[in-house]
Amino acid sequence: MKMQIISSSALAGGAMLLSVASASAESFKWASNTDPQTMDPHAVNSAPVLSFLNNIYEGLVRRNQDMSIEGSLAQSWEPLTGEDGWRFNLRQGVSFQDGAAFTAEDVMFSYGRASNEAADVRSWFAPVSEVRVVDDYTIDFVTKAPNPLFPDSIANFMILDKGWSETNGAELPARDAENFATMHVNGTGAFALASRDPGVKTVLVPNAGWWGKVEHNITEATFTPIGNAATGLAALLSGEIDFIQPIPLQDVAQVENRDGFKVLEGEETRVIMFGFGHEHDELLYSSDVSGSNPFQDVRIRQAAAHAIDIASIDRVLFRGKIEGASQLVPAGISGYSEANSDRPAYDPEKAKSLLAEAGYPDGFNFGLKCPNDRYINDEALCRAAASMFAAVGMNAELSTGPVRDYWPQLREDAFDMYLLGWSPGTFDMEHPIRFLMSTPNSEKKLGSWNFGGYSNARVDELLPGIQREVDPEARQAMVDEVVAITQAEVAYIPLYTQPLIWAAKDNVDMTQRADNFFMLRWVTVN
Amino acid sequence: MAYFILKRLIQSVFVMIAVAFLAFSLFRFVGDPITQMTGVETSIEDQERLRENLGLNDPFVMQFARFTGDMLQGDFGYSYRTRQPVGEMISSRVPATLELGVVALIISLLVGIPAGVFTALRPRGFATQTILMTTLVGVSIPTFVIGIMLIFLFGVQLGWLPTFGRGGTIQIGGWNSSLFTIDGWRALLLPAITLGVYQLTLTMRLVRAEMMEVLRSDYIRFGMARGVPMRSLYFKHALANTMVPVITIIGLQFGGVIAFSIVTESVFQWPGMGLLFLESIRFVDIPVMGVYLVVIAFFFVLVNLIVDILFAAIDPRLRVMDTA
Repeated sequence: MKMQIISSSALAGGAMLLSVASASAESFKWASNTDPQTMDPHAVNSAPVLSFLNNIYEGLVRRNQDMSIEGSLAQSWEPLTGEDGWRFNLRQGVSFQDGAAFTAEDVMFSYGRASNEAADVRSWFAPVSEVRVVDDYTIDFVTKAPNPLFPDSIANFMILDKGWSETNGAELPARDAENFATMHVNGTGAFALASRDPGVKTVLVPNAGWWGKVEHNITEATFTPIGNAATGLAALLSGEIDFIQPIPLQDVAQVENRDGFKVLEGEETRVIMFGFGHEHDELLYSSDVSGSNPFQDVRIRQAAAHAIDIASIDRVLFRGKIEGASQLVPAGISGYSEANSDRPAYDPEKAKSLLAEAGYPDGFNFGLKCPNDRYINDEALCRAAASMFAAVGMNAELSTGPVRDYWPQLREDAFDMYLLGWSPGTFDMEHPIRFLMSTPNSEKKLGSWNFGGYSNARVDELLPGIQREVDPEARQAMVDEVVAITQAEVAYIPLYTQPLIWAAKDNVDMTQRADNFFMLRWVTVN
Repeated sequence: MAYFILKRLIQSVFVMIAVAFLAFSLFRFVGDPITQMTGVETSIEDQERLRENLGLNDPFVMQFARFTGDMLQGDFGYSYRTRQPVGEMISSRVPATLELGVVALIISLLVGIPAGVFTALRPRGFATQTILMTTLVGVSIPTFVIGIMLIFLFGVQLGWLPTFGRGGTIQIGGWNSSLFTIDGWRALLLPAITLGVYQLTLTMRLVRAEMMEVLRSDYIRFGMARGVPMRSLYFKHALANTMVPVITIIGLQFGGVIAFSIVTESVFQWPGMGLLFLESIRFVDIPVMGVYLVVIAFFFVLVNLIVDILFAAIDPRLRVMDTA
């Protein structure tokens, strides 16, 4: 074991301690509620891992501050001629942090690694049929069908050095036991790993040999996971950390009212919605309906949608920070259907008459499942919604639980109605259509999160076209049709876009990206 | 004595197996590890393959047998969450928890015993009533509230002490210690007080009750009549006899201090075993949870053993009984 003194300040006594915070302006400390599980960019497809590693590793393309795609390790890309797919022209003169040169071989190797069965990110490469190295700085990704979205879909596909991985026995992502890449990194990105103590502290330092233009002024960045929200807030307010993501809604006022701190608010790309057990032939949790499922009647689903008062939820639970949602992606995401941007109006009378029309003038009761630790205020939201449903006669029996237990229950169809939040991984409407609206089909890898089994032949028919169509207008027409169908059928009740709330010291400038990724290279400490 | 210790250690193996069995039978209610290990885009087939590889489809008895078998061979398995070896993960967190627990215990004894003696000697004084009232409040407030209150007062408002983490640590061999830097002690103070408050109250009340009992006994009165100095009577004769039951209870409680440091560790983001256990629950990291519970069980057995040995050292009568 090495002898190491991490930090031993010889300060004692209260007065002197107060000056510590402003001592070195460029060492930056931040916290979040989850530690990245691994330093391997292909092992776990989760936001904490991908967000963190985007500071160290780079992809062929990357997302800009406004989420648009720009070149990273690829300088440009164009569709292949004569076959479907994309050609990427790679940046020259880039080297990995250990000094090895970056070439097309590394991309080829990383593709093989990331699409292997041991990789959690392999679904990104489902459309790919072949990858060919053309020369040192050109590589072709051949796809099974035209795929205009492919470059967007691999923004988090990070490139490892072939030589480094092979030398250290990290040819494949660690699935069972750890390997070298679990704790060590060798990226091309703006930062390098100085030390890592999983779950305790991870320190990054700038990569002196980075090819890009340096916009930050950080000399050292220290990340600490802080699971307890109150502790995280105290750490910020006491000046021990410079930035934390996220903070709870109820703490916003406390941060804003203090000198020297600020709250960064935005909209995440995540839409919160209610889903129905479309394919259930009877309600599972009802005491007064048996042998049938009222939610199979579109009028009942419409009634449920009209019963929800988003304005009140916004005012009471979210302090005016949410935006009502009309479809499964928020405005601004590619494919968003402007033509269908109205959400069902709050109209309890209409809801009641729809219920009566459908044969339930006195209403009925059913089971509503919600997570209690997944989305902001998820449990409170479901309580509020349950009382709104009850006001029109639909009595929701609410049961909530932690998310580790929630997904298995949804997979086992143990619900009549359920809460779900969805952030489109590709930042395109195609993503929720593929995962939430397509008829579940495990062979074609469709509808894997369509727990209720919503199925519409026309939607299924339109999806391949949406995936392949290169002409934006023709594509949007198809997306619009899908959104119109699913709105008319109330496949889901989209509720609102989840707010994104970060807090920082006043003297720190940063960019809050809508995918909740935090990029150190946009941070300046003044 | 050696036979006695050996017997207890053999018993401890059975205790640990029983704990592991109970833990394993509860794990399936904790949730599904696979959904916590994979991203949303991971296909159902890939999830199923992972489940098969990890042996999660095997019957409960088989999973338990594999876990116990591996443990007995010294193989603690790999964490589902981080893929690191569980043995390493837990042992790297032991120093933080032990140092916190021991310092909390020392604080509680250093304050609790004198306070207990004081309140026993002046049972009806104003100071005694104040102390009793304050500690009652201290023990009625949940640990995490005490922790948060201390953080906001000393960390945020006054800015004297850090609000989270261990501060400066030094590696000594495999032991990561925060006892050798001022930074480390500053970070240790608030969590140790938070963890020690309950122990402190308990120690104080126990010492007080025992002391008052002893002070009424004949040999103390006889000593007084003979003119033995009061100081010697109180601190030599009375306190020594008071300590026998106190040590038992405090010792047994120490196992609890280690086990229940979870709450304190979470509030102070103290990187000990308890915090690791909490994170593991969130991710349904079954190997880590299993090993943690077994380690804690072992700890309880060990503490009990030490208490028994101490007991024999303090009270000669027990030594006679043991050889019988």
